[in-house]
Amino acid sequence: IKDVILKPDAPSALLLDKHADYIAAYGSKKDDYEYTLSEYLRMSGIYWGLTVMDLMGQLHRMNLQEIIDFIKACQHDCGGFSASIGHDPHLLYTLSAVQILCLYDSVDAIDLDKVVEYVKGLQQEDGSFAGDKWGEIDTRFSFCAVATLALLGKLDMINVDKAVEFVLSCMNFDGGFGCRPGSESHAGQIYCCTGFLSLTGQLHQLNADLLGWWLCERQLPSGGLNGRPEKDEETGGFADRPGDMVDPFHTLFGVAGLSLLGEEQVKAVNPVLCMPEDVLQRIGLQPDLLS
Amino acid sequence: EVDVLVQRVVRDLSTALNRNRNIDEIGLIPCPEARYNRSPIVMVENKLGVESWCVKFLLPYVHNKLLLYRQRRLWLDRQALVDITCTLLLLNPDLTTAWNVRKELVESGAVSPERDLYLGKLALSKSPKSPETWIHRRWVLLHLLQKAPPADQNQTDAERSRHLSEQLAQTLQQEMKVCADAACRYPSNYNAWSHRIWVLQRLAKGNVKVYLDELASMRPWVSTHVSDHSGFHYRQFLLQELTGALGPPAGCSSNGERSGGEAPQRDLPTILQLFCREMELCSDLIQSFPGHETLWSHRRHVFFLWHRW
Amino acid sequence: MKLYSLSVIYKGATKSNLLKAAYDLSSFSFFQRSSVQEFMTFTSALIVERTSQGTRASVKEQEYLCHVYVRNDNLGAVVIADTEYPQRVCFTLLDKVLDEFSRQVDSIEWPSGSPEKINYKALDIHLSKYQNPREADAMTKVQAELDETKIILHNTMESLLERGEKLDDLVAKSEHLGNQSKAFYKTARKQN
Ligand SMILES: CC(C)=CCC/C(C)=C/CC/C(C)=C/CC/C(C)=C/COP(=O)(O)OP(=O)(O)O
Repeated sequence: IKDVILKPDAPSALLLDKHADYIAAYGSKKDDYEYTLSEYLRMSGIYWGLTVMDLMGQLHRMNLQEIIDFIKACQHDCGGFSASIGHDPHLLYTLSAVQILCLYDSVDAIDLDKVVEYVKGLQQEDGSFAGDKWGEIDTRFSFCAVATLALLGKLDMINVDKAVEFVLSCMNFDGGFGCRPGSESHAGQIYCCTGFLSLTGQLHQLNADLLGWWLCERQLPSGGLNGRPEKDEETGGFADRPGDMVDPFHTLFGVAGLSLLGEEQVKAVNPVLCMPEDVLQRIGLQPDLLS
Repeated sequence: EVDVLVQRVVRDLSTALNRNRNIDEIGLIPCPEARYNRSPIVMVENKLGVESWCVKFLLPYVHNKLLLYRQRRLWLDRQALVDITCTLLLLNPDLTTAWNVRKELVESGAVSPERDLYLGKLALSKSPKSPETWIHRRWVLLHLLQKAPPADQNQTDAERSRHLSEQLAQTLQQEMKVCADAACRYPSNYNAWSHRIWVLQRLAKGNVKVYLDELASMRPWVSTHVSDHSGFHYRQFLLQELTGALGPPAGCSSNGERSGGEAPQRDLPTILQLFCREMELCSDLIQSFPGHETLWSHRRHVFFLWHRW
Repeated sequence: MKLYSLSVIYKGATKSNLLKAAYDLSSFSFFQRSSVQEFMTFTSALIVERTSQGTRASVKEQEYLCHVYVRNDNLGAVVIADTEYPQRVCFTLLDKVLDEFSRQVDSIEWPSGSPEKINYKALDIHLSKYQNPREADAMTKVQAELDETKIILHNTMESLLERGEKLDDLVAKSEHLGNQSKAFYKTARKQN
């Protein structure tokens, strides 16, 4: 099996201040080459960073006005958001932008009707969603669409039944989901599809025992999880595995994972939207969970 | 100064690509420092290399140029756009916006779809799992399929349709090859294998012969990649489509649309043989290569298909 | 499953001496092959140096497994494979190669011989034949002959090193690795 060995000197305490410092510093080195390399996903990067800061009670360290201005500058005429200024709009970054605005309780800063129009316009006849105007179909985008609308309280603006039908057509014999009908199950796609079914009130359509079993089989002796059979695992640490480079993405998922596992030093996180529970309470959104 | 350097490198790169149409691989050459008076673009046989020292200058520069253009703060003519996006995407194929500029160039006729499939192939030789590269590829393929065939007055309808199906078969072969190369470069390459499924669904709708050929050609591959779950999933997909197309047992309605276009003729012997041979392969591999979760998961799936059928 | 390199190395008193090597680096990107090859040679030599006489071991390094056998007469061999390739076939291969090599090349040549001078040609053939383990040899036969519990497993290269010793330092100091390979090592480490 492809597993890692946890070294005896691996950190065993959660060093929240260090994680916060890391995130706070990340945004400030803008001329960095690495920063250019990842600009195509900047909006999501900001969402990851801000969410983890909020979970650690450190959101005040970030520059609110600068971020809101940035988001505004990223909204396009079509209503969608791009990852950064000058990039093209996409559902992925539209969701991230709306998530950030919710964290800051500032959704009114942008033109909401246009966002809804944008999302609605990307739904296809078979219920699926294209990621942008160029038409790529993926269950990730179904999730982005319903998550964006749910956060804005506008789920009724799309054909939910059709959308559900499409996502269910991507379910596989192992209970998991892939990116399109016939595609292999993948933990990331499963996150999107179960999240989608939760937001649309359709969790009962899952084969929970089968899927639960498949997911349990992702765990390896080190405690880490992989995303598919015989893939390298991710330990839910702060890089994707010990010894790897750290990044904001894995810092968020590490901290969020600890929150779900009951770590009391961080706020409660909502597993469907990967946002602090108190933020969702404020909006009045409580996605279904299976009990 | 950087300006001059970068412009020269962008030009060298596009000259190299234009001059040699048989390049089959690009790559970075680890090289921390520039060598005096030498271009960082290196051709060896059919491989094109970029010395790593120049990327730090090159990438941010072309990146910013493209984004300024996108914000209408800088004018670039078509040729400049072709060259800049090419450099940019070979260095950073995840840049969605640059692929979108390519789509506009294809739509406007400045770049041929075939040329962009080639650019994608080169990008994949360096970054075999780049999701954006695969996404662009699907767009180009759809564009190709929708493009009306050039009307040749002298051709009869029959000739024209034969020509079309030959072209289709060629495109299909080419895509299978691109997927296979990417699958060898990165194990359990999700994007490569799901692209392969997409291509079959689009280009070989219910063509049983194509599916059977695929199944046969995958056999040696999976036998030497026994932990590649994606490769085995692809086999499961083929088996599922084939059992559907060769005819479901009477009285059993299967979910969703089957791949068979015309009314399926039941072909029991072929189906039984498919299942038998698959179980044999599976048992054989499990015995030769113990301890692979992938093989057991495949076995489970074959039983599931058999049971459902 | 893949075999990348196969080398015969003599374990001298202080250093090891490469006698012959074969490589199949077709699966690596073209411009990395020469660096990868240098690293495989470097790693193989290091492993033989750090493996005691009469021992079989497998060392995991990233997505590779390096299998080594050093005989009581200090003649050793290393095969570098991916993690998919069956371990016991690797050890059969090592036995076979060492057996054949010691019959064809006089032991006087072992301490100071070099790949250019040693006359032993079968390594490339073995490497390519064993790429498909099922065609190479009857695998079941091998099982009985080899007691797998006697194979030591190291989960990292580091566990072969002495206290305070670092792989990065050994790489930096090595005379056999060129600058390009050292640069390659740095970026490869960063990515993983
Ligand atoms: C609100 C949040 C947290 C997310 C937004 C919704 C999205 C976009 C979720 C992405 C989920 C995800 C990681 C999907 C998987 C994509 C995929 C199929 C990756 C496969 O790539 P490979 O590199 O082949 O495989 P590994 O990643 O398994 O190595």
